Amino acid sequence: MAAVQVCEAEKVYIMHGVRDDLRVDGRGCEDYRHMEIETDVVSNTDGSARVKLGYTDVLVGIKAEIGKPKPAAPDEGYLEFFVDCSANATPEFEGRGGEELGSELSCTLYKVFNNVNSLELRALCIAPREHCWVLYVDVLLLQCDGNLFDAISIAIKAALFNTRIPKVTITEGEEGGAELELSDDPYDCVRLNVENVPCIVTLCKIGHRHVVDATLQEKACSVAGLLVSVTHKGTITCVRKVGGGSLEPESIFEMTETGKRVGKALHAPLMKLLRDEEAQGKQRQKVGFLG
Amino acid sequence: MPVDTKRVRGPEESQSPLLFLPSIAKKSVAAERGRQDGRRRGQADVRPVFARCGLVSQAKGSAYIEAGNTKLICSVFGPREAERKDEAGASSGRLLCDLRFAPFSCPNRGAWIPSSEDKDTAQGLLEALRPGVRLHRYPRAQIEVNVLVLENDGSALAHAITCASMALADAGIEMYDVVLGCSLRLDGNSFLLDPTLQEETAGEPGAQGSVTVALLPSLNQVSGLQADGDMREDTLAEAVRACMEGCHKLYPVIQRALLRAVHKRASPSES
Repeated sequence: MAAVQVCEAEKVYIMHGVRDDLRVDGRGCEDYRHMEIETDVVSNTDGSARVKLGYTDVLVGIKAEIGKPKPAAPDEGYLEFFVDCSANATPEFEGRGGEELGSELSCTLYKVFNNVNSLELRALCIAPREHCWVLYVDVLLLQCDGNLFDAISIAIKAALFNTRIPKVTITEGEEGGAELELSDDPYDCVRLNVENVPCIVTLCKIGHRHVVDATLQEKACSVAGLLVSVTHKGTITCVRKVGGGSLEPESIFEMTETGKRVGKALHAPLMKLLRDEEAQGKQRQKVGFLG
Repeated sequence: MPVDTKRVRGPEESQSPLLFLPSIAKKSVAAERGRQDGRRRGQADVRPVFARCGLVSQAKGSAYIEAGNTKLICSVFGPREAERKDEAGASSGRLLCDLRFAPFSCPNRGAWIPSSEDKDTAQGLLEALRPGVRLHRYPRAQIEVNVLVLENDGSALAHAITCASMALADAGIEMYDVVLGCSLRLDGNSFLLDPTLQEETAGEPGAQGSVTVALLPSLNQVSGLQADGDMREDTLAEAVRACMEGCHKLYPVIQRALLRAVHKRASPSES
Protein backbone atom coordinates (compact mmCIF):
# COMPACT_ATOMS: atom_id res chain seq x y z
CA MET A 1 0.00 0.00 0.00
CA ALA A 2 1.12 3.47 -0.73
CA ALA A 3 2.93 4.72 2.30
CA VAL A 4 2.63 8.10 3.90
CA GLN A 5 4.93 9.51 6.51
CA VAL A 6 3.09 10.53 9.63
CA CYS A 7 5.10 11.79 12.56
CA GLU A 8 4.21 11.28 16.21
CA ALA A 9 2.81 14.78 16.65
CA GLU A 10 0.53 14.37 13.66
CA LYS A 11 -0.64 11.03 15.00
CA VAL A 12 -1.52 12.57 18.33
CA TYR A 13 -3.36 15.36 16.55
CA ILE A 14 -5.39 12.90 14.48
CA MET A 15 -6.14 10.68 17.47
CA HIS A 16 -7.31 13.58 19.60
CA GLY A 17 -9.50 14.75 16.77
CA VAL A 18 -11.08 11.32 16.40
CA ARG A 19 -11.73 11.23 20.13
CA ASP A 20 -13.77 14.44 19.75
CA ASP A 21 -15.55 13.16 16.64
CA LEU A 22 -13.83 15.64 14.36
CA ARG A 23 -11.42 14.41 11.75
CA VAL A 24 -8.68 16.27 9.93
CA ASP A 25 -10.85 16.94 6.88
CA GLY A 26 -13.82 18.03 8.97
CA ARG A 27 -15.78 14.79 8.85
CA GLY A 28 -17.37 12.97 11.75
CA CYS A 29 -16.34 9.42 12.62
CA GLU A 30 -19.06 7.77 10.54
CA ASP A 31 -18.95 9.98 7.45
CA TYR A 32 -17.72 9.04 4.03
CA ARG A 33 -15.69 11.38 1.90
CA HIS A 34 -17.20 12.98 -1.19
CA MET A 35 -18.01 10.24 -3.64
CA GLU A 36 -18.38 10.37 -7.41
CA ILE A 37 -19.80 7.50 -9.41
CA GLU A 38 -20.07 7.16 -13.14
CA THR A 39 -21.20 4.05 -14.98
CA ASP A 40 -20.71 3.00 -18.56
CA VAL A 41 -17.31 4.65 -18.86
CA VAL A 42 -15.49 2.06 -20.99
CA SER A 43 -17.23 1.17 -24.24
CA ASN A 44 -15.58 -2.20 -24.82
CA THR A 45 -16.92 -3.73 -21.64
CA ASP A 46 -20.33 -5.19 -20.92
CA GLY A 47 -20.55 -3.09 -17.84
CA SER A 48 -18.22 -0.61 -16.20
CA ALA A 49 -18.09 1.93 -13.45
CA ARG A 50 -15.66 4.38 -11.99
CA VAL A 51 -15.76 5.47 -8.38
CA LYS A 52 -13.87 8.33 -6.85
CA LEU A 53 -13.82 8.45 -3.08
CA GLY A 54 -11.80 11.45 -2.04
CA TYR A 55 -8.51 10.83 -3.80
CA THR A 56 -9.09 7.10 -4.12
CA ASP A 57 -9.95 6.26 -7.68
CA VAL A 58 -11.14 2.87 -8.89
CA LEU A 59 -12.21 1.66 -12.33
CA VAL A 60 -14.12 -1.58 -12.76
CA GLY A 61 -14.80 -3.26 -16.09
CA ILE A 62 -16.93 -6.37 -16.49
CA LYS A 63 -16.63 -8.66 -19.48
CA ALA A 64 -18.97 -11.59 -20.00
CA GLU A 65 -17.66 -14.69 -21.70
CA ILE A 66 -19.11 -18.10 -22.30
CA GLY A 67 -17.47 -20.86 -20.33
CA LYS A 68 -18.13 -24.24 -18.83
CA PRO A 69 -19.87 -24.40 -15.45
CA LYS A 70 -17.87 -25.66 -12.52
CA PRO A 71 -18.57 -29.33 -11.86
CA ALA A 72 -19.58 -28.58 -8.27
CA ALA A 73 -22.30 -26.17 -9.42
CA PRO A 74 -23.43 -27.36 -12.87
CA ASP A 75 -26.38 -24.99 -13.18
CA GLU A 76 -24.66 -21.77 -12.19
CA GLY A 77 -22.38 -19.27 -13.81
CA TYR A 78 -19.54 -17.71 -11.89
CA LEU A 79 -17.54 -14.57 -11.36
CA GLU A 80 -13.80 -14.11 -11.64
CA PHE A 81 -12.10 -11.22 -9.92
CA PHE A 82 -8.82 -9.62 -10.84
CA VAL A 83 -7.43 -6.59 -9.11
CA ASP A 84 -4.66 -4.77 -10.86
CA CYS A 85 -2.65 -2.21 -8.97
CA SER A 86 -1.55 0.28 -11.56
CA ALA A 87 1.85 1.87 -11.14
CA ASN A 88 0.07 5.18 -11.70
CA ALA A 89 -1.28 4.94 -8.18
CA THR A 90 2.10 4.65 -6.52
CA PRO A 91 5.56 3.76 -7.83
CA GLU A 92 5.64 0.86 -5.36
CA PHE A 93 3.20 -1.01 -7.57
CA GLU A 94 5.61 -1.05 -10.47
CA GLY A 95 6.47 -4.46 -11.87
CA ARG A 96 5.27 -7.07 -9.41
CA GLY A 97 5.06 -4.69 -6.50
CA GLY A 98 1.30 -4.55 -6.43
CA GLU A 99 0.77 -8.26 -6.82
CA GLU A 100 0.49 -9.04 -3.13
CA LEU A 101 -2.09 -6.35 -2.49
CA GLY A 102 -3.94 -7.29 -5.67
CA SER A 103 -4.26 -10.95 -4.75
CA GLU A 104 -5.33 -10.05 -1.22
CA LEU A 105 -8.04 -7.77 -2.56
CA SER A 106 -9.30 -10.29 -5.08
CA CYS A 107 -9.32 -13.09 -2.48
CA THR A 108 -11.52 -10.96 -0.27
CA LEU A 109 -13.84 -10.21 -3.17
CA TYR A 110 -14.26 -13.92 -3.82
CA LYS A 111 -15.24 -14.40 -0.18
CA VAL A 112 -17.69 -11.51 -0.24
CA PHE A 113 -19.41 -12.84 -3.33
CA ASN A 114 -19.24 -16.49 -2.27
CA ASN A 115 -22.77 -16.37 -1.03
CA VAL A 116 -25.98 -17.72 -2.51
CA ASN A 117 -27.87 -14.52 -1.86
CA SER A 118 -25.49 -11.91 -3.20
CA LEU A 119 -26.00 -12.53 -6.89
CA GLU A 120 -28.38 -14.81 -8.77
CA LEU A 121 -25.80 -17.12 -10.29
CA ARG A 122 -28.45 -19.39 -11.77
CA ALA A 123 -29.39 -16.56 -14.15
CA LEU A 124 -25.91 -16.85 -15.63
CA CYS A 125 -26.44 -20.44 -16.68
CA ILE A 126 -27.13 -21.08 -20.36
CA ALA A 127 -27.24 -24.88 -20.48
CA PRO A 128 -26.54 -26.92 -17.33
CA ARG A 129 -23.19 -28.75 -17.41
CA GLU A 130 -22.46 -27.28 -20.84
CA HIS A 131 -22.39 -23.51 -21.03
CA CYS A 132 -22.62 -20.64 -18.64
CA TRP A 133 -21.67 -17.01 -18.47
CA VAL A 134 -18.42 -16.18 -16.74
CA LEU A 135 -18.23 -12.59 -15.59
CA TYR A 136 -14.70 -11.31 -15.50
CA VAL A 137 -14.62 -8.47 -13.03
CA ASP A 138 -11.43 -6.50 -13.58
CA VAL A 139 -10.62 -3.86 -11.03
CA LEU A 140 -8.06 -1.20 -11.76
CA LEU A 141 -6.71 1.00 -9.01
CA LEU A 142 -5.95 4.40 -10.49
CA GLN A 143 -5.23 6.27 -7.27
CA CYS A 144 -4.93 5.04 -3.71
CA ASP A 145 -5.80 7.19 -0.76
CA GLY A 146 -7.05 4.64 1.71
CA ASN A 147 -10.25 2.67 1.94
CA LEU A 148 -9.77 0.63 -1.20
CA PHE A 149 -12.22 -2.08 -0.19
CA ASP A 150 -15.20 0.23 0.12
CA ALA A 151 -14.50 2.00 -3.15
CA ILE A 152 -13.99 -1.29 -4.99
CA SER A 153 -17.17 -2.85 -3.65
CA ILE A 154 -19.25 0.18 -4.59
CA ALA A 155 -17.68 0.26 -8.04
CA ILE A 156 -18.39 -3.45 -8.54
CA LYS A 157 -22.00 -3.01 -7.53
CA ALA A 158 -22.38 -0.10 -9.94
CA ALA A 159 -20.66 -2.01 -12.73
CA LEU A 160 -22.83 -5.09 -12.18
CA PHE A 161 -25.90 -2.85 -12.32
CA ASN A 162 -24.62 -1.50 -15.60
CA THR A 163 -23.82 -4.94 -17.03
CA ARG A 164 -25.84 -6.11 -19.99
CA ILE A 165 -25.39 -9.70 -21.02
CA PRO A 166 -26.49 -10.58 -24.56
CA LYS A 167 -29.35 -13.06 -24.84
CA VAL A 168 -28.39 -16.50 -25.98
CA THR A 169 -30.77 -19.04 -27.42
CA ILE A 170 -30.04 -22.71 -27.76
CA THR A 171 -31.17 -24.38 -30.93
CA GLU A 172 -30.91 -27.96 -32.02
CA GLY A 173 -28.03 -28.31 -34.44
CA GLU A 174 -28.11 -30.34 -37.62
CA GLU A 175 -26.37 -33.30 -36.07
CA GLY A 176 -28.43 -33.29 -32.94
CA GLY A 177 -26.01 -31.24 -30.88
CA ALA A 178 -27.00 -27.97 -29.28
CA GLU A 179 -26.00 -24.74 -30.96
CA LEU A 180 -25.69 -21.41 -29.31
CA GLU A 181 -27.10 -18.39 -31.01
CA LEU A 182 -26.25 -14.91 -29.89
CA SER A 183 -28.86 -12.25 -30.34
CA ASP A 184 -27.55 -9.44 -32.55
CA ASP A 185 -29.96 -6.85 -31.21
CA PRO A 186 -27.95 -4.82 -28.71
CA TYR A 187 -31.06 -4.04 -26.66
CA ASP A 188 -32.00 -7.68 -26.34
CA CYS A 189 -30.05 -8.41 -23.20
CA VAL A 190 -30.23 -9.74 -19.68
CA ARG A 191 -29.75 -7.51 -16.66
CA LEU A 192 -28.54 -8.69 -13.30
CA ASN A 193 -30.40 -8.14 -10.09
CA VAL A 194 -27.89 -6.31 -7.93
CA GLU A 195 -30.26 -5.53 -5.05
CA ASN A 196 -28.52 -8.03 -2.79
CA VAL A 197 -24.94 -7.30 -3.77
CA PRO A 198 -23.18 -6.32 -0.54
CA CYS A 199 -21.05 -3.27 0.06
CA ILE A 200 -17.91 -3.40 2.13
CA VAL A 201 -17.45 -1.02 5.04
CA THR A 202 -13.95 -0.82 6.48
CA LEU A 203 -13.63 0.45 10.01
CA CYS A 204 -10.32 1.52 11.47
CA LYS A 205 -9.74 1.54 15.17
CA ILE A 206 -8.08 4.79 16.21
CA GLY A 207 -7.56 5.28 19.92
CA HIS A 208 -10.73 4.13 21.62
CA ARG A 209 -12.99 4.94 18.71
CA HIS A 210 -13.34 3.70 15.18
CA VAL A 211 -13.72 5.61 11.95
CA VAL A 212 -15.33 4.83 8.61
CA ASP A 213 -13.52 5.54 5.34
CA ALA A 214 -10.07 6.26 6.73
CA THR A 215 -7.57 8.19 4.63
CA LEU A 216 -3.99 6.98 4.43
CA GLN A 217 -2.94 9.30 7.24
CA GLU A 218 -5.67 7.99 9.49
CA LYS A 219 -4.84 4.44 8.55
CA ALA A 220 -1.27 5.02 9.65
CA CYS A 221 -2.60 5.83 13.14
CA SER A 222 -4.58 2.65 13.49
CA VAL A 223 -3.21 -0.76 14.30
CA ALA A 224 -6.21 -2.84 13.42
CA GLY A 225 -9.42 -2.59 11.53
CA LEU A 226 -12.46 -4.58 10.65
CA LEU A 227 -13.89 -5.14 7.22
CA VAL A 228 -17.62 -5.78 7.19
CA SER A 229 -19.67 -6.52 4.10
CA VAL A 230 -23.30 -5.60 4.49
CA THR A 231 -26.35 -6.16 2.28
CA HIS A 232 -29.19 -3.70 1.85
CA LYS A 233 -31.21 -5.64 4.42
CA GLY A 234 -28.49 -5.15 6.98
CA THR A 235 -27.29 -8.75 7.10
CA ILE A 236 -23.58 -9.29 7.38
CA THR A 237 -22.07 -11.53 4.74
CA CYS A 238 -18.38 -11.29 5.47
CA VAL A 239 -16.16 -10.05 8.27
CA ARG A 240 -12.38 -9.88 8.26
CA LYS A 241 -9.94 -8.42 10.69
CA VAL A 242 -7.32 -6.41 8.82
CA GLY A 243 -4.12 -4.71 9.89
CA GLY A 244 -1.39 -6.00 12.14
CA GLY A 245 -2.94 -5.53 15.56
CA SER A 246 -5.56 -7.20 17.69
CA LEU A 247 -8.92 -5.99 18.92
CA GLU A 248 -10.85 -6.26 22.13
CA PRO A 249 -13.97 -8.41 21.87
CA GLU A 250 -16.18 -5.52 22.93
CA SER A 251 -14.85 -3.20 20.25
CA ILE A 252 -15.46 -5.88 17.63
CA PHE A 253 -19.13 -5.92 18.55
CA GLU A 254 -19.27 -2.14 18.46
CA MET A 255 -17.53 -2.03 15.11
CA THR A 256 -19.80 -4.59 13.47
CA GLU A 257 -22.77 -2.63 14.76
CA THR A 258 -21.45 0.61 13.23
CA GLY A 259 -20.51 -1.22 10.05
CA LYS A 260 -23.99 -2.61 9.71
CA ARG A 261 -25.61 0.76 10.29
CA VAL A 262 -23.34 2.64 7.89
CA GLY A 263 -23.45 -0.10 5.24
CA LYS A 264 -27.21 -0.36 5.33
CA ALA A 265 -27.54 3.38 4.86
CA LEU A 266 -25.18 3.25 1.89
CA HIS A 267 -27.33 1.05 -0.34
CA ALA A 268 -30.50 3.09 -0.88
CA PRO A 269 -28.79 6.30 -2.10
CA LEU A 270 -26.46 4.25 -4.28
CA MET A 271 -29.31 2.42 -6.00
CA LYS A 272 -31.22 5.67 -6.44
CA LEU A 273 -28.19 7.29 -7.99
CA LEU A 274 -27.66 4.40 -10.38
CA ARG A 275 -31.31 4.40 -11.46
CA ASP A 276 -31.29 8.16 -11.96
CA GLU A 277 -28.19 7.96 -14.04
CA GLU A 278 -29.67 5.23 -16.17
CA ALA A 279 -32.93 7.13 -16.63
CA GLN A 280 -31.01 9.96 -18.23
CA GLY A 281 -29.95 7.53 -20.93
CA LYS A 282 -28.08 8.95 -23.88
CA GLN A 283 -28.70 12.55 -22.85
CA ARG A 284 -26.34 12.17 -19.95
CA GLN A 285 -23.24 14.26 -20.20
CA LYS A 286 -20.28 11.95 -19.84
CA VAL A 287 -17.70 13.12 -17.40
CA GLY A 288 -14.94 10.69 -18.27
CA PHE A 289 -11.50 10.70 -16.77
CA LEU A 290 -10.83 14.39 -16.64
CA GLY A 291 -13.84 15.28 -14.49
CA MET B 1 6.45 -40.50 -20.47
CA PRO B 2 5.96 -41.94 -23.95
CA VAL B 3 2.39 -41.80 -25.09
CA ASP B 4 0.79 -44.72 -26.85
CA THR B 5 -1.36 -43.05 -29.47
CA LYS B 6 -3.27 -46.22 -30.31
CA ARG B 7 -4.69 -46.42 -26.87
CA VAL B 8 -7.77 -44.47 -25.89
CA ARG B 9 -6.59 -42.30 -23.09
CA GLY B 10 -8.72 -40.98 -20.33
CA PRO B 11 -10.02 -37.45 -20.32
CA GLU B 12 -7.37 -34.81 -19.82
CA GLU B 13 -9.34 -33.27 -17.07
CA SER B 14 -10.35 -35.72 -14.40
CA GLN B 15 -12.96 -35.29 -11.75
CA SER B 16 -13.55 -36.84 -8.40
CA PRO B 17 -16.16 -39.60 -8.45
CA LEU B 18 -17.73 -38.03 -5.37
CA LEU B 19 -19.25 -35.36 -7.62
CA PHE B 20 -21.45 -37.93 -9.29
CA LEU B 21 -22.77 -39.31 -6.05
CA PRO B 22 -26.36 -38.19 -5.59
CA SER B 23 -26.32 -35.36 -3.08
CA ILE B 24 -24.08 -36.71 -0.37
CA ALA B 25 -23.52 -33.23 0.89
CA LYS B 26 -27.17 -32.30 0.85
CA LYS B 27 -28.00 -34.72 3.64
CA SER B 28 -28.96 -32.29 6.31
CA VAL B 29 -27.68 -32.65 9.80
CA ALA B 30 -30.20 -30.03 10.84
CA ALA B 31 -32.87 -32.65 11.30
CA GLU B 32 -30.87 -34.46 13.91
CA ARG B 33 -30.80 -33.11 17.38
CA GLY B 34 -27.24 -33.89 18.20
CA ARG B 35 -24.14 -34.28 16.10
CA GLN B 36 -22.74 -37.41 14.56
CA ASP B 37 -19.80 -37.68 16.90
CA GLY B 38 -21.96 -37.30 19.98
CA ARG B 39 -21.20 -33.67 20.68
CA ARG B 40 -24.03 -31.29 21.39
CA ARG B 41 -25.20 -28.46 19.20
CA GLY B 42 -25.09 -24.93 20.53
CA GLN B 43 -22.56 -25.92 23.20
CA ALA B 44 -18.89 -25.09 23.49
CA ASP B 45 -18.08 -28.68 22.66
CA VAL B 46 -14.71 -28.92 20.95
CA ARG B 47 -13.14 -32.10 19.73
CA PRO B 48 -10.48 -33.60 21.97
CA VAL B 49 -7.10 -32.23 20.98
CA PHE B 50 -3.75 -33.93 20.92
CA ALA B 51 -0.79 -31.58 20.65
CA ARG B 52 2.97 -32.11 20.76
CA CYS B 53 5.96 -29.89 20.14
CA GLY B 54 9.35 -30.53 18.62
CA LEU B 55 8.92 -33.35 16.17
CA VAL B 56 10.77 -31.84 13.19
CA SER B 57 14.43 -31.98 14.14
CA GLN B 58 15.63 -29.67 11.35
CA ALA B 59 13.34 -26.82 12.27
CA LYS B 60 13.89 -24.27 14.99
CA GLY B 61 10.50 -25.12 16.37
CA SER B 62 7.70 -27.41 15.34
CA ALA B 63 4.34 -28.67 16.46
CA TYR B 64 1.80 -31.29 15.60
CA ILE B 65 -1.87 -31.05 16.40
CA GLU B 66 -4.69 -33.47 16.03
CA ALA B 67 -8.34 -32.68 16.58
CA GLY B 68 -10.60 -35.49 15.60
CA ASN B 69 -9.37 -36.41 12.16
CA THR B 70 -7.92 -33.01 11.40
CA LYS B 71 -4.15 -33.37 11.51
CA LEU B 72 -1.64 -30.63 10.99
CA ILE B 73 2.07 -30.24 11.21
CA CYS B 74 3.87 -26.92 11.49
CA SER B 75 7.51 -25.95 11.47
CA VAL B 76 9.10 -22.59 12.16
CA PHE B 77 12.42 -21.41 10.74
CA GLY B 78 14.28 -18.30 11.74
CA PRO B 79 14.74 -15.62 12.75
CA ARG B 80 17.10 -15.22 9.86
CA GLU B 81 18.23 -12.33 7.72
CA ALA B 82 15.39 -10.87 5.69
CA GLU B 83 15.46 -11.60 1.99
CA ARG B 84 13.68 -8.44 1.05
CA LYS B 85 15.65 -5.43 2.12
CA ASP B 86 13.63 -2.79 0.33
CA GLU B 87 10.93 -2.97 2.95
CA ALA B 88 10.25 0.29 4.71
CA GLY B 89 9.60 -1.57 7.96
CA ALA B 90 13.22 -2.39 8.67
CA SER B 91 12.65 -1.59 12.34
CA SER B 92 10.52 -4.68 12.80
CA GLY B 93 10.79 -8.21 11.56
CA ARG B 94 8.71 -9.93 8.95
CA LEU B 95 6.52 -12.91 9.57
CA LEU B 96 6.03 -15.18 6.57
CA CYS B 97 3.28 -17.74 6.55
CA ASP B 98 2.84 -20.61 4.19
CA LEU B 99 -0.08 -22.98 4.49
CA ARG B 100 -0.56 -25.97 2.29
CA PHE B 101 -3.16 -28.64 2.07
CA ALA B 102 -1.56 -31.94 1.16
CA PRO B 103 -3.12 -33.16 -2.12
CA PHE B 104 -4.67 -36.11 -0.32
CA SER B 105 -5.91 -34.11 2.66
CA CYS B 106 -9.40 -33.44 1.35
CA PRO B 107 -11.98 -35.79 -0.22
CA ASN B 108 -11.18 -34.23 -3.59
CA ARG B 109 -7.56 -34.33 -4.61
CA GLY B 110 -5.89 -30.97 -4.54
CA ALA B 111 -3.10 -29.69 -6.71
CA TRP B 112 0.45 -29.22 -5.49
CA ILE B 113 0.47 -25.65 -6.63
CA PRO B 114 -1.26 -23.59 -3.94
CA SER B 115 -4.62 -22.33 -5.12
CA SER B 116 -5.94 -18.89 -4.30
CA GLU B 117 -7.93 -20.56 -1.53
CA ASP B 118 -4.70 -21.76 0.09
CA LYS B 119 -3.17 -18.32 -0.21
CA ASP B 120 -6.23 -16.79 1.37
CA THR B 121 -6.04 -19.24 4.27
CA ALA B 122 -2.34 -18.44 4.67
CA GLN B 123 -3.19 -14.75 4.73
CA GLY B 124 -5.76 -15.41 7.46
CA LEU B 125 -3.14 -17.32 9.41
CA LEU B 126 -0.68 -14.45 9.10
CA GLU B 127 -3.28 -11.91 10.21
CA ALA B 128 -4.06 -14.01 13.27
CA LEU B 129 -0.46 -14.69 14.28
CA ARG B 130 1.10 -11.30 13.74
CA PRO B 131 -0.43 -9.53 16.76
CA GLY B 132 0.88 -12.27 19.03
CA VAL B 133 4.53 -12.10 17.97
CA ARG B 134 6.87 -9.38 19.23
CA LEU B 135 8.18 -8.61 15.77
CA HIS B 136 9.86 -5.36 16.77
CA ARG B 137 12.40 -7.50 18.66
CA TYR B 138 13.62 -8.91 15.36
CA PRO B 139 14.61 -5.97 13.17
CA ARG B 140 15.68 -6.85 9.63
CA ALA B 141 14.85 -10.48 10.22
CA GLN B 142 12.23 -12.82 8.94
CA ILE B 143 10.48 -15.69 10.62
CA GLU B 144 9.02 -18.39 8.45
CA VAL B 145 6.01 -20.42 9.47
CA ASN B 146 5.12 -23.44 7.36
CA VAL B 147 1.93 -25.34 7.99
CA LEU B 148 1.03 -28.54 6.23
CA VAL B 149 -2.48 -29.92 6.57
CA LEU B 150 -2.11 -33.67 6.48
CA GLU B 151 -5.75 -34.47 6.91
CA ASN B 152 -8.54 -31.96 6.72
CA ASP B 153 -11.61 -32.86 8.69
CA GLY B 154 -12.89 -29.35 9.20
CA SER B 155 -11.69 -26.25 11.07
CA ALA B 156 -8.32 -26.39 9.35
CA LEU B 157 -7.56 -22.70 9.70
CA ALA B 158 -8.44 -22.58 13.40
CA HIS B 159 -6.17 -25.50 14.23
CA ALA B 160 -3.46 -24.15 11.94
CA ILE B 161 -3.43 -20.98 14.06
CA THR B 162 -3.10 -22.93 17.29
CA CYS B 163 -0.48 -25.26 15.84
CA ALA B 164 1.57 -22.40 14.37
CA SER B 165 1.60 -20.45 17.62
CA MET B 166 2.79 -23.58 19.46
CA ALA B 167 5.57 -24.01 16.95
CA LEU B 168 6.55 -20.35 17.32
CA ALA B 169 6.70 -20.76 21.08
CA ASP B 170 8.72 -23.94 20.66
CA ALA B 171 11.16 -22.04 18.45
CA GLY B 172 11.72 -19.58 21.27
CA ILE B 173 10.30 -16.63 19.36
CA GLU B 174 9.26 -13.84 21.70
CA MET B 175 5.51 -13.60 21.92
CA TYR B 176 2.93 -11.66 23.87
CA ASP B 177 0.72 -14.68 24.22
CA VAL B 178 -0.11 -17.91 22.48
CA VAL B 179 -2.69 -17.58 19.74
CA LEU B 180 -5.58 -20.00 19.86
CA GLY B 181 -8.01 -20.60 17.05
CA CYS B 182 -11.55 -21.88 17.04
CA SER B 183 -14.15 -22.22 14.30
CA LEU B 184 -17.85 -22.40 14.31
CA ARG B 185 -20.50 -23.35 11.79
CA LEU B 186 -23.84 -21.64 11.83
CA ASP B 187 -26.52 -24.07 10.79
CA GLY B 188 -29.96 -22.55 10.74
CA ASN B 189 -30.66 -21.33 14.24
CA SER B 190 -28.05 -23.30 16.10
CA PHE B 191 -24.30 -23.44 15.90
CA LEU B 192 -21.77 -26.23 15.72
CA LEU B 193 -18.48 -25.50 17.37
CA ASP B 194 -15.29 -26.93 15.88
CA PRO B 195 -17.15 -28.46 12.89
CA THR B 196 -16.02 -31.53 11.02
CA LEU B 197 -15.64 -31.40 7.26
CA GLN B 198 -19.02 -33.03 6.80
CA GLU B 199 -20.65 -30.44 9.03
CA GLU B 200 -18.84 -27.69 7.15
CA THR B 201 -20.23 -28.74 3.80
CA ALA B 202 -23.63 -30.14 4.77
CA GLY B 203 -26.90 -28.33 5.11
CA GLU B 204 -28.93 -26.30 2.70
CA PRO B 205 -27.30 -23.15 1.41
CA GLY B 206 -28.58 -19.86 2.67
CA ALA B 207 -28.90 -20.67 6.33
CA GLN B 208 -25.20 -21.34 6.68
CA GLY B 209 -22.26 -19.36 7.86
CA SER B 210 -18.84 -19.95 9.26
CA VAL B 211 -16.82 -18.00 11.77
CA THR B 212 -13.18 -18.40 12.75
CA VAL B 213 -11.77 -16.52 15.72
CA ALA B 214 -8.17 -16.28 16.88
CA LEU B 215 -7.73 -15.28 20.50
CA LEU B 216 -4.88 -14.17 22.71
CA PRO B 217 -6.32 -15.79 25.84
CA SER B 218 -4.49 -14.12 28.70
CA LEU B 219 -4.73 -10.65 27.15
CA ASN B 220 -8.31 -11.27 26.06
CA GLN B 221 -7.70 -9.79 22.63
CA VAL B 222 -9.06 -11.09 19.36
CA SER B 223 -6.20 -11.26 16.90
CA GLY B 224 -8.06 -12.74 13.97
CA LEU B 225 -11.63 -12.86 12.83
CA GLN B 226 -13.08 -14.25 9.65
CA ALA B 227 -16.79 -14.68 9.09
CA ASP B 228 -18.64 -15.69 5.96
CA GLY B 229 -22.26 -16.34 5.19
CA ASP B 230 -25.44 -14.43 5.64
CA MET B 231 -25.99 -13.60 9.28
CA ARG B 232 -27.52 -11.02 11.52
CA GLU B 233 -25.33 -8.90 13.69
CA ASP B 234 -26.43 -10.41 17.01
CA THR B 235 -25.91 -13.92 15.64
CA LEU B 236 -22.37 -12.91 14.73
CA ALA B 237 -21.71 -11.52 18.21
CA GLU B 238 -23.03 -14.71 19.76
CA ALA B 239 -20.89 -16.80 17.42
CA VAL B 240 -17.76 -14.83 18.29
CA ARG B 241 -18.45 -15.33 21.99
CA ALA B 242 -18.94 -19.07 21.50
CA CYS B 243 -15.66 -19.29 19.59
CA MET B 244 -13.85 -17.46 22.36
CA GLU B 245 -15.24 -19.93 24.86
CA GLY B 246 -13.99 -22.74 22.63
CA CYS B 247 -10.52 -21.16 22.59
CA HIS B 248 -10.45 -21.03 26.39
CA LYS B 249 -11.24 -24.75 26.50
CA LEU B 250 -8.20 -25.36 24.33
CA TYR B 251 -5.90 -23.21 26.46
CA PRO B 252 -4.94 -25.70 29.24
CA VAL B 253 -4.17 -28.43 26.70
CA ILE B 254 -1.83 -26.18 24.76
CA GLN B 255 -0.18 -24.90 27.96
CA ARG B 256 0.50 -28.44 29.09
CA ALA B 257 1.96 -29.41 25.73
CA LEU B 258 4.26 -26.39 25.79
CA LEU B 259 5.36 -27.10 29.37
CA ARG B 260 6.12 -30.66 28.44
CA ALA B 261 8.25 -29.46 25.54
CA VAL B 262 10.19 -27.14 27.84
CA HIS B 263 10.82 -29.93 30.37
CA LYS B 264 11.97 -32.21 27.63
CA ARG B 265 14.35 -29.62 26.29
CA ALA B 266 15.75 -28.86 29.77
CA SER B 267 16.64 -32.46 30.46
CA PRO B 268 17.04 -34.33 27.21
CA SER B 269 18.38 -37.43 28.93
CA GLU B 270 15.08 -38.12 30.62
CA SER B 271 11.71 -38.87 29.00
